[in-house]
Amino acid sequence: MSTRVDAAARPEQPRRPDHPDRRAPGASRHRPPADGLAGLRASIGFMVRRNRVRLGVWFLVVVGLFAYIARYFGDVFTTQESLDDFAAISDNPGIKALTGLAAAPDTLGGAVWTKIWMTCAVALALGIVFLVTRNGRADEELGRTELLRSRMLGNHARAVAAWTVLATLSLAIGLAVAVASIALGLDPDDAGTTGSWVLGASLAGVGLVALGVGALVGQLASTSRGANALGSIVVVGFYVLRMIGDLGDGALTWASPFGWGQEMAPWGANRWWPFGLMVLLTAVLLAAAWLIEERRDHGAGLLPDRAGRSDAPARYASPLGLALRLQRGPLIGWSIAIVLSAMLFGSVAEEMTDLLDDAGDSMAAILQGAGIDELLGLLAGMIALLTAVFAVQSATQLRADEASGIVEAQLAGALSRTRWALMRLVIPAVGSLVLLAVGGALLGLGYGATIDDSSQTMRLMGAALAYWPAVTVVAGLAVALFGYLPRLAIALSWGAVGALWMVMVIGDALNLPDWALAVLPFSATPTLPAESMDWTPLVVMTIVGVGLAWAGIARFARRDVALS
Amino acid sequence: MTAEMAVEIQGLHKSFGRVHALRGLDLAAPVGQVTGFLGPNGSGKTTTIRVLLGLLRSDAGTASLLGGDPWTDAVRLHRDLAYVPGDVTLWPNLTGGETIDILCRLSGPLEPERKRTMLERFDLDPTKKARAYSKGNRQKVALVAALASRAPLLLLDEPTSGLDPIMEAAFQESIREVKAEGRSVLLSSHIFTEVETLADRVVIIREGETVESGTLADLRHLTRTQVTTVLDSGADALAALPGVHDLSTEDGHTSFAVDDDALPAVLAEVARLKPRSLVASPPSLEDLFLRHYDDELAAVHHGGAR
Ligand SMILES: Nc1ncnc2c1ncn2[C@@H]1O[C@H](COP(=O)(O)OP(=O)(O)O)[C@@H](O)[C@H]1O
Ligand SMILES: [Mg+2]
Repeated sequence: MSTRVDAAARPEQPRRPDHPDRRAPGASRHRPPADGLAGLRASIGFMVRRNRVRLGVWFLVVVGLFAYIARYFGDVFTTQESLDDFAAISDNPGIKALTGLAAAPDTLGGAVWTKIWMTCAVALALGIVFLVTRNGRADEELGRTELLRSRMLGNHARAVAAWTVLATLSLAIGLAVAVASIALGLDPDDAGTTGSWVLGASLAGVGLVALGVGALVGQLASTSRGANALGSIVVVGFYVLRMIGDLGDGALTWASPFGWGQEMAPWGANRWWPFGLMVLLTAVLLAAAWLIEERRDHGAGLLPDRAGRSDAPARYASPLGLALRLQRGPLIGWSIAIVLSAMLFGSVAEEMTDLLDDAGDSMAAILQGAGIDELLGLLAGMIALLTAVFAVQSATQLRADEASGIVEAQLAGALSRTRWALMRLVIPAVGSLVLLAVGGALLGLGYGATIDDSSQTMRLMGAALAYWPAVTVVAGLAVALFGYLPRLAIALSWGAVGALWMVMVIGDALNLPDWALAVLPFSATPTLPAESMDWTPLVVMTIVGVGLAWAGIARFARRDVALS
Repeated sequence: MTAEMAVEIQGLHKSFGRVHALRGLDLAAPVGQVTGFLGPNGSGKTTTIRVLLGLLRSDAGTASLLGGDPWTDAVRLHRDLAYVPGDVTLWPNLTGGETIDILCRLSGPLEPERKRTMLERFDLDPTKKARAYSKGNRQKVALVAALASRAPLLLLDEPTSGLDPIMEAAFQESIREVKAEGRSVLLSSHIFTEVETLADRVVIIREGETVESGTLADLRHLTRTQVTTVLDSGADALAALPGVHDLSTEDGHTSFAVDDDALPAVLAEVARLKPRSLVASPPSLEDLFLRHYDDELAAVHHGGAR
């Protein structure tokens, strides 16, 4: 049988805007593929094999952090009096904003909760989101899943394998935290172990919700970068919601899964039902992810790609111009994130002042009279930390471009490696300066408006800008790692950001010696406006940061270009 | 009819946003045969194969694979199918050998003997991590995984684009074995000689539409044979014969094209004129293919955009 379509019989290449629909009228009728879960067992094995190190690391980070603080506090707080003191000191807006306050702050478990629960919860949530992306959207984007899907693998098998493994990870972490809590004697003598189990469940629940979030954003975004960015924004959004809730009347706390975990109130009310709420939300998010996955094309997100321009402006020929174009999305995203956070921080400052007023003299005394300035310094520090995340993301892009091989095309042109790297680093350097200035100014503007003092804008802009040398050190470290340890650079850079975050939140409990605090960039920065200005550390840090970046670039200019 | 067709596609449409990639494509690949699938870059070959794999949902038209629906029955059908993508991406930290095992076990029992044979034939070191492989070697991983299986249907999307000529020969040998075992192959390619040597049938597409399909003999039958001969005299008389086209003489060489059905009569006439040399060549697949792309070729030659 031979069919031949004569070219002459097709005058003008008929181009129908609408194709004939042979399936009409049921064309849009949804036909789910059968055996969507075939190959699930093999996929689970594959997922564990590929992620064993990562799974272990996240487990150890969360459980280890908790166990460390629990042990340390067990040694430090040996009397009820000391626990009462700690509870009183903790009951201030800064702690409430940053970590939340335990339901039973004057128990040993409560003290540990205040110190570390939020940190564990946020770390777990981010870790789970990143792991979902790595095993879902990232592989699909790179075309690796396609080979597997050509075999007997159901369309949901890989996703459900990831869900199974990561749900197990969340539950295992919850279980391990509960066991650690019991073993380290956090439960009050006559209260049984209920509090420890509620605590473990609250962390596991947060992990499950993060799993749902990761699964859904992995269906919406068509790139792994997009999925991770969207997922992080949701996690940070949950954190900010409960932060505002905790500072205000508590209503917004209930809008955040972190808040639900908090409201399980271990050693206080010991509520179980918010855990049910978290499981329910997880189920809804996973169901949504399932439904989208069943309907969409492999490799596609929810939005089709649009056609772009046929010509590039001349500025794209420079590494900086191209990088600005390629990082346009993240740049806009970070600007929005910082602007929104700064405005939120500034506007909640009023509620905080009210809180301080209510507390009267005793609170002011506890805070050594610095009160609101201390809090503002802390908020400026948080803006700086967000800025550092941006700077590191932008700086690690050097390694990302090298690993993917994209850089080879640029370096094959008349462009030295040094020039390439330097121009790329203009973005984190100048970008963080701008973000700090804008963030600090908005914080000051918001706060100044509530107390009718316009000088706050410049004052807090200065406070935030004082962190620029610290941000430079972190970004410089990322560049040095890129030069000397390319394969580990991205993981270690983010590890450094995580460590800084940890020191900022739980620094004192880590028992770091003074010299260590003095050399860590964020703690070395004077906390304006509460502390007085000190130029020495800023100058030193700027030199160190630029030196690290320079060393990294010099090394990159001399070593092999290494693909992933 | 369906039972004898490993792949059957009718009027297939698929759009990506505003890009209308497939515009009513037809394709049939009979069981036990090698079907060549030809089309220039961007004409829709990969899209078609990904619809057949159940990775993309068609917008309209019908597609059946081994008698089943590629979208709803994907998993069941994939038991009997092996796929080699044109652009192979692997997990950088797994070795080639591990990857092959993972892929093979996902659709049937692993046969270590066949795996070893194929590794030797394609000269592939299975202990290297995928990140250390070149493009050709990554492609070999996918080829070995596909050829080591006993899948009744092979979907190959430009499987040799990264291979050297020696490996190309190994590939052709393997495909002949596959055919001898009665298995079916859909081979997308733009290497004409490969398709010409391997394929029983050919489907040519253009901008998401089928423009020609049939056996190579069928397709040739509908075209003309090119004849070049050196005659002492009488060349002009040939032009008047039925079925002779485009006759021209240059430096004593007379060239013309002959309709297939007129060939015996014309050759007899040429023989009567006692030619000193004669070359008659059937149209190559390339000629057949290029006939459908005259306009684009013209654009290339004039250096203009199409
Ligand atoms: N995911 C996608 N999104 C948008 N357009 C696509 C996508 N995949 C393929 N196309 C377009 O569909 C057409 C056919 O592509 P493809 O099937 O890959 O061609 P071939 O394999 O024959 O080279 C091309 O115009 C291509 O740009
Ligand atoms: Mg293709």
